[in-house]
Amino acid sequence: MLALVCLWPAAQLLFLGSLTHERAQELLYRDLRTQLAAATAPVGPVVPAGDPVALVRIPRLGLEEVVIEGTASGDTTAGPGHRRDTVLPGQVGTSVVYGRAATYGGPFRDLPELRVGDAVEVTMAQGSVTFDVIGLRRAGDPLPPPAAAGAARLTLVTAEGDGRFGAVRPRDAVYLDAEAAEGFPAPPGRPTAVPDSERALASDPAALPLLALHLAVLVALVLGVLAARQRWSTAVVWLVACPLALAVSWATTDVAVRLLPNVL
Amino acid sequence: MSARRALAALAALGIAALGLAVPAEVAGPAQAAPAQAAPARAAAEGDDGYRATRELTRVFANADGTTYSFPTYRVTVTADKTENLRGRQRIRISWKGAQPSGGRASNPYGENGLAQEYPVVVLQCRGVDGASVPVAKRVRPETCWTASVAQRSQVSRSEGEATWRHDLYADDAAKQRTSGVTPFPGAQECPTADIEPYATRLTPFVARGGRTHLACDAAHMAPEAAVGAAFPPAEIAAFTEANGTGSVQLEVRSETENESLGCNHRVACSVVVIPIVGLSCDAPSQPPTAGDQACRKGGRFAPGSSNFSGEGIDQAVGPALWWSESNWRNRFTIPITFGLPPDTCDIRDPRPPTGFYGSELLAQAATQWAPAYCLAEDRFKFQLNQMSDEAGFALMSSGGGVAAAVSSEHERRGSDPVGYAPTAVTGFSIAYVVDEPDNGGERTRLRLNARLLAKLLTQSYLGSDLGRGHPGMAGNPLAIMNDPEFQELNPGLSTTTQEAGATLLSLSESSDVVEQLTAYIAADPDARAFVSGKADPWGMKVNPEYEDIELPRSEWPLLDTYVPATENTCRKENPAVYFTQLAAPVTALRKISEALLDAWPNVQTRCELDASTQQYKLGRVDRQSFGSRFLLGVTSLGDAARYGLRSAALQTRPGTYVAPSDASLGAAVRLARQERPRAPFVLDQADVRKAGSAYPGTMVVYTAARLRNLPKADAAKVAQFIRVSTTEGQRRGSGNGELPEGFLPIRRTGVTAKLFASAQDVADAVAAQRAPAGGDGPGGGGPGGPGGDTSGGPAGGSGGGVPGGDVPSAELPAEEAAPGADVEAQPTAVPAMPGTEPVSSRLGGGLLPALVLVGLLAVAGAGGLRFFVRVPR
Repeated sequence: MLALVCLWPAAQLLFLGSLTHERAQELLYRDLRTQLAAATAPVGPVVPAGDPVALVRIPRLGLEEVVIEGTASGDTTAGPGHRRDTVLPGQVGTSVVYGRAATYGGPFRDLPELRVGDAVEVTMAQGSVTFDVIGLRRAGDPLPPPAAAGAARLTLVTAEGDGRFGAVRPRDAVYLDAEAAEGFPAPPGRPTAVPDSERALASDPAALPLLALHLAVLVALVLGVLAARQRWSTAVVWLVACPLALAVSWATTDVAVRLLPNVL
Repeated sequence: MSARRALAALAALGIAALGLAVPAEVAGPAQAAPAQAAPARAAAEGDDGYRATRELTRVFANADGTTYSFPTYRVTVTADKTENLRGRQRIRISWKGAQPSGGRASNPYGENGLAQEYPVVVLQCRGVDGASVPVAKRVRPETCWTASVAQRSQVSRSEGEATWRHDLYADDAAKQRTSGVTPFPGAQECPTADIEPYATRLTPFVARGGRTHLACDAAHMAPEAAVGAAFPPAEIAAFTEANGTGSVQLEVRSETENESLGCNHRVACSVVVIPIVGLSCDAPSQPPTAGDQACRKGGRFAPGSSNFSGEGIDQAVGPALWWSESNWRNRFTIPITFGLPPDTCDIRDPRPPTGFYGSELLAQAATQWAPAYCLAEDRFKFQLNQMSDEAGFALMSSGGGVAAAVSSEHERRGSDPVGYAPTAVTGFSIAYVVDEPDNGGERTRLRLNARLLAKLLTQSYLGSDLGRGHPGMAGNPLAIMNDPEFQELNPGLSTTTQEAGATLLSLSESSDVVEQLTAYIAADPDARAFVSGKADPWGMKVNPEYEDIELPRSEWPLLDTYVPATENTCRKENPAVYFTQLAAPVTALRKISEALLDAWPNVQTRCELDASTQQYKLGRVDRQSFGSRFLLGVTSLGDAARYGLRSAALQTRPGTYVAPSDASLGAAVRLARQERPRAPFVLDQADVRKAGSAYPGTMVVYTAARLRNLPKADAAKVAQFIRVSTTEGQRRGSGNGELPEGFLPIRRTGVTAKLFASAQDVADAVAAQRAPAGGDGPGGGGPGGPGGDTSGGPAGGSGGGVPGGDVPSAELPAEEAAPGADVEAQPTAVPAMPGTEPVSSRLGGGLLPALVLVGLLAVAGAGGLRFFVRVPR
C-alpha cells in the first residue's frame, strides 16, 4: 500500500505527467495558432490564467513550448507559465517565465546548458522577437544591469539540483536572462503584485480543499470495490474498477502536485 | 440702493447723536458712558488673539426724570484665534466679570438658546467696527447671522412682550409699533407682520450680494437658514457661571459654508459678543404700561439654574433682543480674518499641480502650505491628494506620483530605493465630545487606556439590548460609560447608555494611524491579554470574533456577524450585523472630525418607516442633544486643533496619562530611532511605556520619494518641497506656508534636530538621484518580500539606468548613446548590481528521491514480508 502511495505519484510526476503536459501543449499550440492567425492572441495587461500567451523556441535545446498565463503550481503543469505582474514575453520591459525542471515533461530541464549568445525565439500576438541569452544566474550572482530603454528582456526561471541525482532533485532556482534590443510596446495597467502562490518555487495551498474532495472520492472508490467484491467476482470488479481507479488517482495526483513547488 | 445707504448712514448718525445726547440729559449713565465710548482694549495675547474690557450698565429712566443704574459689570472678553481662520474652525471665546446667567438651556445653539436669561450672545457678522471703516463695511445687526427668525425678529407681539419699544437708547423710529425695515412690508409679502395692535420688529438679514431677507417668517430667510440646513446653527447664547466667567467655542463659517454671510479672505468679518445685562428702559408713562413693566423685569431664574423645559423667560433679560440698541451698544466686536480658500491654487495658478499622495495627517499643514508654493513663481504647484498611506506609497513607487506622504516604513515594491524625509511631527488624537451630567458643560479632561481602546475597537461593548444575544459576551457592559474601568478613570460622568458609547469612530481604510493605534494597544500587556481572551478584572470579555486578532495592523476589519433576533418589524425587514452598524467606520479622518464637531455619531442603527415608499430603512442616528453628548473618534492632531476638538489623555504606564502637547510629542520624538540613513524613525511603544511622558500617538509624516529614476524636474520639486517644508514650513502660525496648530515644529536644534538632519540628507539624495538601485535602500530584500522574486527586475520598468560593470556586454556604448537615458547617472561610479536572492525549496529537492526510495523500500519490505513470514490464514 505504502509502495503504491509513494511510487504512483513519483511515476506520475516523472512519466505520466509528461503525457498531461504533452496533451496540454498540443491543445494550447492549436489555440495559440488559431488566435495568432485571427489576431486575437492576448497582448495584456490582464490575461485570464491558463490562456496561451506566447510560443517560446530555443533552437539549441530543440525546445518549443507554448507559454501560458500564470505561474501557480497548477498552471505550470501545462507548460511554462508567464508571471502575471510582468510584461508579456517580447514586450518592452522584463518578462518572467517559470518552467518546470523535472516533472511534467520538464520543459526547462536543460536550461542551464545554454550559453551567452544563444537565441531564444518568442512568437506572440505582436510579432516575433529573438532574444540573446546574456547570462545565467544562481543564488548570489549579480543581477544583470537594467535594460536599455526600449529593450525587451526575458527571464526564464526554473530549478536545478546538484549531486548524483541532480536531474530529479531540483532544489534551487536558476535564472536565465535573455535580451532583445527592441521589444513591442506593453500596454499599461498590469497588476503590481502576484499572490504568494505564483512566486518562484512556491506552492499553492488553495488546492487543499480540492485535494480533500479527490481523496474522498478515492476512499469511496475503495469502499465501493470492497463492497462489490462481496457480490461479484474479483475479475469483474477489477475490470470495472481499474480504469476508475486510474482516473481518480491520476486526477488526485494532479491536484496534489499543486501543493508542490511550481518549477519542480 | 443708495437711498438705503443714505438711510443707514442717517440712522448711524442718529444713534451716535443719541449716544452723545443721552448722557447730557440723564445724569445716571453719564459715568458709564465714557467707558463705553472708549473700550479699554488691552494688547492682544500674542499676535493672534483678542482681548478687550468694557463696562456694562443697565439703566432705568424714572418717570420723574431721574435715573436708576444697576451695578456696573466690568466684562473682559478674550478670543484665542482671530487670523487666517478657515471654514468650520472653532475659536475659543471666554469672558469674565459678566452677569451670571439663569435658566440654562441644554442646547445653547441657535433658536434653542433663546429661553435663557442673562446669556452672552456670540454671533458671526459681516463687517467690522471702527470709525475709519466705510459705513457699508461696518458691522450692524442686519449683517449678523442667525439661523432662525425668532433670533432676529419679534413678530406680532402684544404690548407686554414688546419691551424693545421702551429701550432707553433706541431712537424714535425703533419705538414704533412696526420697525426695523423701511418701508415696512405689506400684508402681501409678510402677512403676519403688520397686525393691529400687535408690535413687530424685523431685523432683516442683508446678504453679501446685497439681497435683503426680511426675516418676518421662515420663508424670508437666507437659504442657509432653511430648516434642516447642512450645518447646524453656530451662533450661541452662552451661559455665564455664577462667578461671572464663561467660555464657548464658536464655529466660524466661511463663504463655502455660508454664502449669504459671505466671509472670506477679502470680506472682513467679525465675531460679535454681547453680554446681555438687560434692556435699559426709558421713562415709563403714567400709569406704567404692561410694556414698561416688562422692560423693567430682572429675570425669573436664579443664577446657575437650568431651564430644560424651555419655559418662558423675561424678554428684557433674554438673548432675543440682542439687536436692540441697549444690547447692541454693549457689543465686543472681535475682527476676524479668513485664510485663503482651499481652491486658491486651482484658481490663481494655471500650472498643472504636482501631486503628493498619502497621509491625511498632513492635511491641515498642506492646506496652509499649498498657497506658499503655488503663489510663488520659483516654486511648483503643490497638491496633497489624500489616500491611504499604502496606496500613496504604491503610487509613488510605480511612478504614478512624484512623492508619497506616509508615516511609517512601507514595503518597497519597485527596484528603486526610496528615501523618507521627515516633514511634520503630529499624530493621532482620540478626540471626544462628552458632556458633564446635569448641564455641567463639556468635559475637558478624559483619560483612556489601551484596554479601553481595545474594548471599543474589538466591538466588545453590547451597544444596547440588541447586542445581548451575542454569543460569548453576554455579561459585558452595554457601552463604555457603563464600564467600571472607564468610570474609575473618569469619575462623575453620566452612566446613561448610548449606542455611540459602544464604539470608537475609526477608519475603514488601511492607514498608518490605525497601525500606530493598534501598536499602542499591542504594547500594553493588559490590553493584549484582553484581546487574547482573558477577561478584565470586572469580568468583561473580548468579542469572540476578534479574539486573538493580530496586532498591530494597518487596517481594522469588521469581523462580527451577529444579526440580532428581534420582533421589531423594521429590523426584521432589514437584517443587518448590529455591531457593524455601531462601528460604521468611515474613509477619512475629516469625516470623523466633522462627526465630532456636529456631535453626530456615525452609528447606523436608526430604523424607521419611510412614509413615501412604505418601506423600512436603516440610517444614521440623530445628532446628539446638547448636555448628553458622548462621542469618541480617532482623528488627527491637526484636525483636532483646527476644529477645537478635545483629545483624550492616553495611559503610557500604569497611572500616567499623557495628552498631546509640544512636550509630550517632543518626548516621543526623542525616543524614536532610525535604523538606517534615510529610513523612517520608528517609535517603539515599549519605549513609550518606559518613558512615561511621551504621547503614544505621536507620528512623523514623511515625504517618501524615489532616490533613482525620478525625472529630474520632479526630483527638483520634491527636494524643494522637503527643504522648504522643513525650514520655512515649520514656523508656527496661521498664515500661508506656516505650520498650523497640532504639529510640533521640526527645528535645526533640540529634539527634532535628527529629523531635520535626516530630511536635508534625503532632500540632497532626491535631488541627486544617484542612490544605488536596490542597495541599502529601505525595504529591500526582506524574506518573503518581493525583493527575492523580482530579482529579475520584473517591475523595474524600462527606464534607462546604470550599466553594470561586471557583465560582459557590448552595450555600454549603446547606453551612452541613448538620448533618453538619465544623463545624471552616467558619470557616477558604476554600482555593483545586487546579488540574486537565493530561492530554494528543500521539498522540491528531496521529494522525488524520497518518494522513490520509500516506495522501493516498501516494495522490498512487502516482498520480504511475504517471503519470510507466512501469514497465518
